[in-house]
Amino acid sequence: MSRRAGWLRILRARPGLTRGLLLAPGSLWLLVFFAIPLLFVVLASGLHRGEFSGVAPGLTLENYLRFADPLYLEVLGRTALWAGLTTAGCVVLGFPVAWVIARSRRFRNLLLFLVVIPFWTSFLVRTFAMIFLLRDSGLVNSLLLQTGLIHEPLTLLYTPFAVLLGLVYGFLPFMILPVYAALERLDPSLLEAAALLGARPSTRLRTVIVPLAFPGIVAGALLVFVSAFGSFLTSDLLGGAKQAMIGNLIQNQFTTARNWPFGSAASLIVMGVVMLAVLASLRVRDRAPRRLSRQAAEVAR
Amino acid sequence: MIDRRAFLQRVAILTGSFPIVSAVAGCGKEPKGPPAGSETLGPLEDRLNIYNWSDYIGPEVIPGFEKEFGVEVVYDTFESSEEMVAKLLAGAVGYDLVVPPTYAVTALRGANLLAQLSVKYLPNLPNLSSIFRGRPHDPDNRFTVPWQWGMTGIAWRTDRVSRPPQSWSVFLDRSWGGKMTMLDDVRDVIGAFLKYRGHSLNSADPSELEAAERDAIAAKKNLKAYLSAPVKSQLIGGDVWIAQLWNGDAAQAAREEPAISWALPDEGSTLWIDSLAVPRSAPHPRAAHEFINYILRPEIGASISRATGYGTPNQAAMPLLAKPVPYPDPGQLARLEVQTDLGAASGLWDEVWTRIKTA
Amino acid sequence: MKRQSRIALTMASVVYLFLHLPILVLVVFSFNQSKYSVRWTGFTLEWYRALLERSDLLRGLRVSLIVGLLSTVVATVFGTLLALGLTRRARPARFAEGLLYLPVVTPEIIAGISLLLVFAQAGIPLGIGTITIAHIAFNIGFVAIVVRARLEGMDRSLEEAASVLGADELTAFRTVTIPQLAPGILAGALLAFTMSFDDYVITSLVSGTGSSTLPMVVYSMVRRNIEPTVNAISTLVLLGTSIGIWLIFRLSRERPLATGRG
Repeated sequence: MSRRAGWLRILRARPGLTRGLLLAPGSLWLLVFFAIPLLFVVLASGLHRGEFSGVAPGLTLENYLRFADPLYLEVLGRTALWAGLTTAGCVVLGFPVAWVIARSRRFRNLLLFLVVIPFWTSFLVRTFAMIFLLRDSGLVNSLLLQTGLIHEPLTLLYTPFAVLLGLVYGFLPFMILPVYAALERLDPSLLEAAALLGARPSTRLRTVIVPLAFPGIVAGALLVFVSAFGSFLTSDLLGGAKQAMIGNLIQNQFTTARNWPFGSAASLIVMGVVMLAVLASLRVRDRAPRRLSRQAAEVAR
Repeated sequence: MIDRRAFLQRVAILTGSFPIVSAVAGCGKEPKGPPAGSETLGPLEDRLNIYNWSDYIGPEVIPGFEKEFGVEVVYDTFESSEEMVAKLLAGAVGYDLVVPPTYAVTALRGANLLAQLSVKYLPNLPNLSSIFRGRPHDPDNRFTVPWQWGMTGIAWRTDRVSRPPQSWSVFLDRSWGGKMTMLDDVRDVIGAFLKYRGHSLNSADPSELEAAERDAIAAKKNLKAYLSAPVKSQLIGGDVWIAQLWNGDAAQAAREEPAISWALPDEGSTLWIDSLAVPRSAPHPRAAHEFINYILRPEIGASISRATGYGTPNQAAMPLLAKPVPYPDPGQLARLEVQTDLGAASGLWDEVWTRIKTA
Repeated sequence: MKRQSRIALTMASVVYLFLHLPILVLVVFSFNQSKYSVRWTGFTLEWYRALLERSDLLRGLRVSLIVGLLSTVVATVFGTLLALGLTRRARPARFAEGLLYLPVVTPEIIAGISLLLVFAQAGIPLGIGTITIAHIAFNIGFVAIVVRARLEGMDRSLEEAASVLGADELTAFRTVTIPQLAPGILAGALLAFTMSFDDYVITSLVSGTGSSTLPMVVYSMVRRNIEPTVNAISTLVLLGTSIGIWLIFRLSRERPLATGRG
């Protein structure tokens, strides 16, 4: 027991030490296995393209300048649009699920696992199952034709609709899990108190539920947005590879185009843009809602 | 309290053991003989690491080799040759045999990653047909041995399409709109339209590429999607009627749906060759060579083609196949080209491809 | 309140159906006789039998499970500690938190190739170890983000109460903080395992000979030929993980669950 008391004395005397110890393992791992590799990327982005691949010596800004082409900016813009739509879709569909799970006492863990289990099958296999459902001769069309609701198969696959469906599907857990984690804190008595005080359902939603869930929604939205931003396989498989996303562009630089410097530069630009969005959103999250959630917590007392 | 000295001792043990760990881990794989690329190799090793496409080999080939030579084969698969090339270029080692397509061979050779073959261990080499030798990617046949070959053409539903599509221009034909696909591959799509205009599919000429880009964008409106191998199930299901596809895949689809046929366009197309190559870092070069020699046997070459449905470059294996993919006749050969690496022009092609995909 | 619940319940049910429909299709057609067709041509177990011959699929599954479990445990611990370290400070560490998103923001091919370059330069042999290292790296971020969402605005009064009652920091941490965090940690761990189990790009780049994961084997199969054998193994994976989860659930039921709400 004295050993432990000894440790605690040290930690109390130096508050920074506690924080340091907490941050150390994770940060070190990320530093060595993520940040340092990233330095390679930064270096590569400033070099020339090797003849067959890799890099050739010589510092240059040409890779960054090349990205300023309207062609690439258009791809970037379109990708941002898709990421935004996906995020919106995930918020709308994911929030009710997170709510139901958080409110459920008996089935909570089961419901949680049911959210995640579909994603323990391979992404490609899932997507091919969706293709199977949506194609002209697929299950959905077969059923609709059989019941006589339609006379010609609907073109569902290789459309923007299919892509959005696939993207929202793929990133739902990213929204559901953080929102659930935040909502789970919600004490039902808070809502009852608010109801007793005469608040309507929409008011209760606005002043109690959303503020408490807000950190979760922001975390979820950021996870979805950022991940959807880099995704391209879904658009390829469900959209028929007819539209290039920024992920396609970057992927191509490391595969068919074999232009690693340009791929590195493009990635860094994209990462920079997205990180700005992340930081901006975190600022939004840090401001008002804290006040609101504190108010809500005080209502409970 | 933990003794400071004891703590430091533990840290030293942990970090100090790391190089030992890596050395031990690599121990069993140290090459015992001369490295790959030497004229004379060492004795047969006990392991062989192959890196190939999936489902690209006959089921009895590996077990047969293992039993006859007493070598343990580790068979890893990749889903795109570009991914394999990128991995090798970034420095991944450990593979004894890789299976690159023609253009990748040029890139790998350019990066000095491939070893010259030690031909004294390949007495079965003469079994190969000369059609697949001496090609631009390996003019002296020093680095590769062909594995399988095929042609890119047009697969079509004979019960839905009245006339066989004999030209790449079919993709510009609006009457088949929404029922056609092309391969999701920069070389195949742009290459097709280069051939359409009578140019080489390895062209680096900006004006030729510009014309191909215009055609490709015009064709895009008629396409249902850009699909590679997965288009087979759509062809069988009747969702797609005309598809740019390789002859082997078309043959596989035809097994399920007899109303599928395949045509080589008049303007010409790609002759693709996937080859076996030995990386210079191969830890088991002798085993690699014995495997190459093994698959050059007629009966083994035949069993591979029987399983994959693609063409065998092994002339001696042809008589053993019931329905072999026939070698291209001189007329077809004249229209076929092998894809080589584009080198510096890759950037130009990539821009064109991005514009096609953004249109 | 009841009407609101009903709307939420209906929407949630629709979403669950949406999530599981492709899975249902997947499972059902693993028993279909035809290889490519959409039509049901007959029931068969042939694809499951074929699985027994596909030792590559079974080996891949084994590697995926090892890597998945190992990386999830480590990443959850490191990620939770990271989240705690970031939250316990006077001024909000927005920049440091933003950095957590860096692994998520980075395109997989970049993360994979750069990590491969580092491993190659350092002479570290590629294999299950390097895959696990990579998975831990990107999962730390995910876990930390999810746990942070839970920590934000978490009620500190319970911990204060505990210290008033005489518990030291470590005891308070163990008996109050962790149980309160538990749902967030669980959610983070679930996400981490999912990300690890299904990862392809980074994994394939840093894997070595003989260390192919299940996605690697499946992807290369599916790219060329979609066979119901793939459906069969996916169904088995689903079955296996569901049973595993159910067992864990039953076992954890023995101990009273701490809800952390006091």
